[in-house]
Amino acid sequence: MTPSSYVVETDGLTKKFGSRTVVCDVDLKVPRGSAFGYLGPNGAGKTTLIRMLLGLTPATAGSMRLIGLPVPERRGEALARVGAIVEEPRFHGYLTGRENLEIVAAARDREAARRIADAIERVGLAKRADDRVRTYSLGMRQRLGIARILMADPELLILDEPMNGLDPAGIEETRVLIRALVAEGRTVVLSSHLLDEVEKTVDALAIVDQGRIVAQGSIGELTRSGPPTVVVGSADNQRAGALLAPLRSVARIAVEDGVLRVGLGGRISAVNEAIADINRRLVEAGIPVYRLEPEHASLEQRFLEITSRLEEAA
Amino acid sequence: MTALTPIAAAAPPAPARRPFLPLVRADLLKLRRNRGLLAAAGAMTIGPVLVAYTILVILHAANPAHHGPAGGIANLGHGTSLLAVIGSVAAVLVGASAGAGDLGSGVFRELVVTGRSRVALFASRIPGGLAFLLPLVGVAVALTAGATVVFAGSLPAPSTTLLAEAGIWVALQIAFYFVLALGLASLIGSRAQTIGILLAWQLAVTPILLSIGVLGAGRDAIPDAAFVRLGPHVLDEYVRRGPVVSMSAAVALAVIATWTSVAVGLGMWRTAKRDA
Repeated sequence: MTPSSYVVETDGLTKKFGSRTVVCDVDLKVPRGSAFGYLGPNGAGKTTLIRMLLGLTPATAGSMRLIGLPVPERRGEALARVGAIVEEPRFHGYLTGRENLEIVAAARDREAARRIADAIERVGLAKRADDRVRTYSLGMRQRLGIARILMADPELLILDEPMNGLDPAGIEETRVLIRALVAEGRTVVLSSHLLDEVEKTVDALAIVDQGRIVAQGSIGELTRSGPPTVVVGSADNQRAGALLAPLRSVARIAVEDGVLRVGLGGRISAVNEAIADINRRLVEAGIPVYRLEPEHASLEQRFLEITSRLEEAA
Repeated sequence: MTALTPIAAAAPPAPARRPFLPLVRADLLKLRRNRGLLAAAGAMTIGPVLVAYTILVILHAANPAHHGPAGGIANLGHGTSLLAVIGSVAAVLVGASAGAGDLGSGVFRELVVTGRSRVALFASRIPGGLAFLLPLVGVAVALTAGATVVFAGSLPAPSTTLLAEAGIWVALQIAFYFVLALGLASLIGSRAQTIGILLAWQLAVTPILLSIGVLGAGRDAIPDAAFVRLGPHVLDEYVRRGPVVSMSAAVALAVIATWTSVAVGLGMWRTAKRDA
C-alpha cells in the first residue's frame, strides 16, 4: 500500500438526520504534519464530521480515509494511530485520573499502559493523578483528555473545541502543546468556533458553514483571497474620498480613524494597478498623500464575509 | 487547496496486538472501585446470609424448644432460596452498571474512538462483571454451607455433594440474572430502567405468571421455573416460588440458554450499532 501524504481525506462526505442535511458533500484534505483548523459557527456540522471520521456515527454518503486507510472498512487499524477528543472529554468521576487512563489504555495496545505516567506528566497533572476525577476542574479534565490521547502515541490528534472552558493560561498552554505536537511530526486537527485561537494555532484551515466547506487553504491564502482594502492617508480625506468614489476599481469607501479605507472591487491580480491609479489621481489633484498601503482582511473579517454571504444567499 | 506541502508518509506500522484480558481487568476495575455498588452487592449477597443465620442461631440459643438448630438441610434450603432471590437483585444491579455504566458517563465514546471492536468492548463486560460478582457469591455460599454444617446440631448435616450442588445452582442463577441485566442495559442504555424492569420481572411478574395455571406448559419459558427444575431436588420445596411446573432438565437448560443468548445477542448488537 502506498502511504498517503494526507492524514484525513474525505470525498463527498454527507450526513443526514432525516431530511436535514448536517454535513453536505465535504471534500477535505488534511496534510500530514500540520496543525489544521476546522472552523465554523456553532451548528455548522463540525462535530458531526469528526464523529463520522471516528466511526461514532455512520456517514449517509461519501468516503473517508484516515492515515491513508479507508474507514469504516479498516477503522480499527486507523484509529489505533489516532487520538481524539470529541466535544468535552468524558470520564468516570468516581475513578482517579490515572485509573481513567488505565481503562482506555486497556482498549489500546500494550504500550499504551506504559505511557500513562509520561502522558500525565506532560499535561501537568502528576500531583492530581490519583485524585478522583469528580474533584477536577473543567480545565484539568481537558488536560486529562489530552493525556488520554497522548497515551496512544498518535500520528493524528483530532481535538473538538479543545479550548472550551479553559482560562487564558490554559488556552496558551494548549496552544503551545499543539505546536509542540506538530513539531514532533504529528498532525493536529483542531475544530473550533474561536477564530482567534485557530488563527494563532494552525497552519491551514477549512471554513465550514451549514454543513459545507466554503473555503480551504493556508491562513495567508484565505486572508489574501478576499477583495483587499487600501488605506489612504491624505491631507484632505473628504476631497480624496469624493475624487476616488466614482472610480470603477473602487467598490466602497469610508473614513475611519483619520484615514480613508478604500475597498477595491474587480480582479485581485489588478490590485497593484488600482493602487497606482489611486496614487496618480490624488497627486494630480494636488492632494498630498502621506500613507498608501494595501490591507488584507483578518481571518475574522474573511470568516464573517464568507458566512454572511452565505446567509444572504440562503 | 492548501499551499502547505504535505510530509511524505512512512509506511504504516503493522497493527499492534490488542489482548482481551486487559479489557476484562478494566471492566472489573470500574465495578470494584464503585464503592456504592460494591457495598450494595456485598449487602445483598453476604449480608442476608449473615443476618439470617445469626438470627437463627440466636433464636435457637434463646429457645431451643421452639426453634430448631440454625443448620441442617431445611435451613440450607431456606438460605439458598434467600441468597438466590436477593443475590439475583444484586446481579441485576451489577449487570445494569456493567452494561450501561460507560454509556451513562460518556466513556463509551472514548473507548470506541480507540478503534477497539465494539463487540470486544461488550464481551469483556461479561467476565469482568462475573469476576466482581461471583467472589461475593462464593463467600455467601461458603458462609451458608459452613453455617448449615456447624449449626446442624441434632439435625442431619447436608452432604458435601448437596452443598456443592446448592452452591453451583445459586451461583448459576445469580450469573444468569447478571447476564440478563447486562444485555438489557446494553440494549436500552439506561441503568435505572434496566433495574426497574428486571426487579419488576423478578419480584412481581414472575410469581404472578407462575401461579397462573391456565398458562400450562407456557410457564416453562420462565427462567425461575427452569432454575427450580435444575436445582437439587432435596431443596425443591424451599426454593420454589410458585406451584410446581414440570419440565425436563433438557427443556430447562434450553430455556436458560435461550434467555442468555437473546440477552447477549441483543446487547452485543446494540453496542455494535449505536451512535456513540
